[in-house]
Amino acid sequence: MGNRVAICAMAQIKNEPDIWYQRMQGMLRECIKPVLDDTGATYDLDKGIRNILTCSDDVFDARTISDNGVTDAVGAHFRGEEKVAQESINGFGYAMSMILSGHDDVVLYVGHAKESQTESRQMCTNLAFDPFYNRPVGLDFQNANAFQAREYMEKSGVTDEHLAEVVVRSRENAAKNPYARNNDKVTAKDVMNSAMLSDPVRELHQYPVTDWAYAFILCCEERAQEFCKNPVWLTGYGSCMDSYFLGDKDLTSNFSMKKASAKAAKMAGIKDIKKEVGLFELSDAVAYQLPMWAEGIGIADEGKGGKWIEDGGPGKMNVNTSGGMLNGNPLLLSGAARVAECYLQLKGEAGNRQVDGVKKALAHGTTGACGQHQGVVILEK
Amino acid sequence: MSHRKKNRHVGVVGIGETKFSSHREDVNQPEMIFEAVKEALDDCGLGMDDIECVVHGNMELFEMVHQPDLWHSMGALMYGKDEIRLTTGGTTGGTLAAAGDYLVASGMYDIVLAIGFEKLQEGHTTGGITNMADPLWFRKLQSGALTGSTAYDMIEEFGEERAKNAAMSYRIIMDEHACLNPNSHRAFGLNWDQADELKENSPRLVGDLRLIHMCSQSDGACAVIFASEERAKKMKKKPVWIRDHITAHREETFNVFGNAPESAPVAKTQRFCAEQLFKRNGIDDPVEYFDVFEMYDPSSWWGSDWLRDFLLLEGDEALKLIEDKEIAIGGKLPVCPSGGVISANPIGATALVRFAEAAKQVRGDAGPHQIPTPVNHALASSFGGTMWTVLFMLEKELGWEGA
Amino acid sequence: MSEEFGVKVEEIFNTMEERFRAEGAKGVDASFGYDIAGKGKWKLTIKDNKMNLEQTDDLSGCACTTIADADTFVGINIGKVDGTSAFTSGKFKVDGDIGMLGKTAKMFRKFVAPVQEMSVREYLVDMFATVEARFKPEAAADMDVIIVIDIQDEDGSAWSVAIKDKTCKVSDGIVGTPTVTLEISKSKDWVDLTLGKTDAQTLMAAGAGSVKGDLPTAMKWGELFEKYVDPMGGKDAEQELIVLKKTISVNNRFATGPVMGKFFNQLKKKKILANKCASCGRLQLPPREICAECRCDVDEFVEVGPKGELRLMETVFYGSPDPLTGEARETPYGAINVLLDGCKGNETMWHFLRMDQLDKVTMGRNEKKGTRLRPVWKEKRQGDVFDILYFEIDE
Repeated sequence: MGNRVAICAMAQIKNEPDIWYQRMQGMLRECIKPVLDDTGATYDLDKGIRNILTCSDDVFDARTISDNGVTDAVGAHFRGEEKVAQESINGFGYAMSMILSGHDDVVLYVGHAKESQTESRQMCTNLAFDPFYNRPVGLDFQNANAFQAREYMEKSGVTDEHLAEVVVRSRENAAKNPYARNNDKVTAKDVMNSAMLSDPVRELHQYPVTDWAYAFILCCEERAQEFCKNPVWLTGYGSCMDSYFLGDKDLTSNFSMKKASAKAAKMAGIKDIKKEVGLFELSDAVAYQLPMWAEGIGIADEGKGGKWIEDGGPGKMNVNTSGGMLNGNPLLLSGAARVAECYLQLKGEAGNRQVDGVKKALAHGTTGACGQHQGVVILEK
Repeated sequence: MSHRKKNRHVGVVGIGETKFSSHREDVNQPEMIFEAVKEALDDCGLGMDDIECVVHGNMELFEMVHQPDLWHSMGALMYGKDEIRLTTGGTTGGTLAAAGDYLVASGMYDIVLAIGFEKLQEGHTTGGITNMADPLWFRKLQSGALTGSTAYDMIEEFGEERAKNAAMSYRIIMDEHACLNPNSHRAFGLNWDQADELKENSPRLVGDLRLIHMCSQSDGACAVIFASEERAKKMKKKPVWIRDHITAHREETFNVFGNAPESAPVAKTQRFCAEQLFKRNGIDDPVEYFDVFEMYDPSSWWGSDWLRDFLLLEGDEALKLIEDKEIAIGGKLPVCPSGGVISANPIGATALVRFAEAAKQVRGDAGPHQIPTPVNHALASSFGGTMWTVLFMLEKELGWEGA
Repeated sequence: MSEEFGVKVEEIFNTMEERFRAEGAKGVDASFGYDIAGKGKWKLTIKDNKMNLEQTDDLSGCACTTIADADTFVGINIGKVDGTSAFTSGKFKVDGDIGMLGKTAKMFRKFVAPVQEMSVREYLVDMFATVEARFKPEAAADMDVIIVIDIQDEDGSAWSVAIKDKTCKVSDGIVGTPTVTLEISKSKDWVDLTLGKTDAQTLMAAGAGSVKGDLPTAMKWGELFEKYVDPMGGKDAEQELIVLKKTISVNNRFATGPVMGKFFNQLKKKKILANKCASCGRLQLPPREICAECRCDVDEFVEVGPKGELRLMETVFYGSPDPLTGEARETPYGAINVLLDGCKGNETMWHFLRMDQLDKVTMGRNEKKGTRLRPVWKEKRQGDVFDILYFEIDE
């Protein structure tokens, strides 16, 4: 059996601040119908989709077994359904294993999230911390990331000006992306004048509240041609978990990012990410994470994130042509948005964001505060 | 059948379970998980460094911890490892076992550790279950996971006395098994003389579902280590092989009430899974084929009812297995020699425990509740959500493809 | 006497008054009976945030009565027996309204079995009674001394310890000429010193004791005897387990989407809509975006009911309390599945039956029709499942 899995189709709805007019089931249907139409895939037990993978989160959905409400919408009535309750990037690795193991030929992989539904993202992420020490102190992903931001910025010479540049660029790229959240274009001055959320993280450094859903059809190499002419290939996956207590680790080490990307690269047969990969989609929930994750995967020199930005690194390395998570994707679904952009770029369907000549792309997602868990996926034409 | 062959074989090589109880105030969540993980590692002689990927699951709205794998990373030995979190309600443990199978069979990892856990006393179990229902409609109507409809159907089909006796016999047999299993949460030491009294006097929950029939709410963790065929064969204990598994979910609304199942059958995932799994593996007579069945039986009514579906039986064939005590250890097809879900239900772990207990039976070292006759072929099921099922086949020897 | 736990049933009841928490009794106006096999019956009456307990055989008028044997009752109260398991296996039973029993849990602080203790005097006497047995001859070398310990409070006395020729003899009072006298103000200090809970320097610094005579001899005291073993086990208090209690509630704003939205809007107008699958014809109630079996979108709406036929009623005896409010639905209640007019398969509507009609309805099955029911609408409807208050018999 081979070691790569085909992405045969992808569909998404537009990222929006508040999809008040539709519930999860409806959002998913808008993504699922197109991928079924594009591929002609059915739910036939012998030849079609008999196992479905979903991604969603109980706490943000405020629903125990958050996949329970969408079983019919995803076609899982008397079919298999498994849920990744973690950053969606890991669902790609998991789906690869479902297919490469021989258990399933073709898998429908969907995800949904509505950050707008909850009264506070911070109240939700505060619950990711242990109830004894960290939760009562009021830690949530936003202020925990601020600790990392401060340390990283000092270590790598990243300034408020650099971050402003990152945000400006994100908005500019997103403006070319029809599925990106509609945000106002901003100037560097706007960013630097925006209110502090958790010093040094400003309001405009943080990804805005977003609702979204997506669907992919993945297939084994042997049958990919049944569903599409030119699949894009998933060739590598790696993830890594760092330790939990903030005080236990060097927040600038990029420990899990380095390992996850090394593992993904190894599986894809890549020896040097910087040389061999042509496009990068990194989950930058907060602006400082763009140069930081770039260092972690090796496309920016360690400790030189600030300089990398100054030298136009993001543009030169084709990083986040989609606008990135920074422009707005829900927590947990950014990985899928990153894969979606890599997919479109490799297929030549990225419109006026298109980068030519890209053969390999890297997509990334992060779970937890300060990049505790990182997941990386490699895609190829 | 156009589906491909399994890429490579996967063996279950290490198993760890905590004692299940409602009072594990002496440990916090990562500590409790570590107990199971350590036991699994000791079981196969592997160390932290050998683990390549960890899969983790539970139902987080019970303990109200978001992304609990982050906090548990130390107790679950995730540091520096690949890690994936999967949750599918009550079937989570089954999905975790399926994950172990996929991840190793795919060739992506050689050694995978799966961890299921729950600490129900740290949350509000019924509240958590009610929150599974649609927030706009069913959540206001539902109350936990209790239903008397199965009892009603069985009484209509078999008559009150026979149905109630069967459910109570099932219960007592499960308790007898639980008394042999040192990890059980609840082992009452029921004796057969109490059957009539319990049948009539155990407090009623819904309809004829009584407290005595219903599963416990437990704390506990289960850890299982999966290895590729090559690595598994080098372990000190003989590995148990995963032959195949299938998952089937169903829509969230019920649409199942009002007609006798015998005359207007409503499709059940239990039967669907059994039909699909056995057909594609060439099993014609599951009662003959399997030596043990660890069924996820949340109540003795459900256990009694689903026996028929899982074993592809008709009429009162399954009832007779209960009445003749063929489901007891020493019988023709022992069911839940561990005591089953009625005796211990740490929800996020429970389905993995069924899988692990079935594996232990195949290995021959389950403990005092070990079936005395050889166990070559084992069946394990998971239950959750709105009547979802996961079904596993485990084998003692490789070579079934030729069969 | 409960043999297993060393606690008397009577102690549980005798301490109820001191363990009573008035705030837990708010809103309760009822009596609770306790029937403990072989021990007796008690009646606890709660009214106006006050309690009254009497031992009486007359438990009439009790909202619920707990029936158990002494061991089970004591065991549950001191946390050594799991209440739920005992209840399930029939070791303790409840006559009457179980829901009421739950209310008593908040009314009392947990019973803590008193630890058996030795008095200070008892310790002193025992300590000196064991001095000779604990004497270490090899540590005495060629000592020839009389050490007097004079404990000067009312629990205390004086003892003389004569050490000569590697033997030790203890006498009451002051016997012979002391080489050194240790004057100790309080018995407890000597007891604590001997138990290792304090040390000589601390006592001296606090002025709790003084030494008269040969100090070097006094300083040898600790080396001359084996450590005193506390007959009460002397185990450290078990590690205190910290339990944090917190109710977590995050507000959410749920969208209905167009399908549920339409359903709710019509409900406000007293119309019940199902939707119909164009492919298989089945109806869904409440309507869904998709037909799960055909896996296709469903666009066609059909008005059904509002009356219908009862197909299944679940009589619910156990109402689980709401985690936020603690309120539980009054039991028994009937959770019903009604096949509304226009529906034909299993697409029943789930709701509740009027509380006083539970025993007046019959369930349909197959061709047999169940009781006809009609919805009772709320005055002011807002697009919610309880725009229908309940269903009642359609007379």
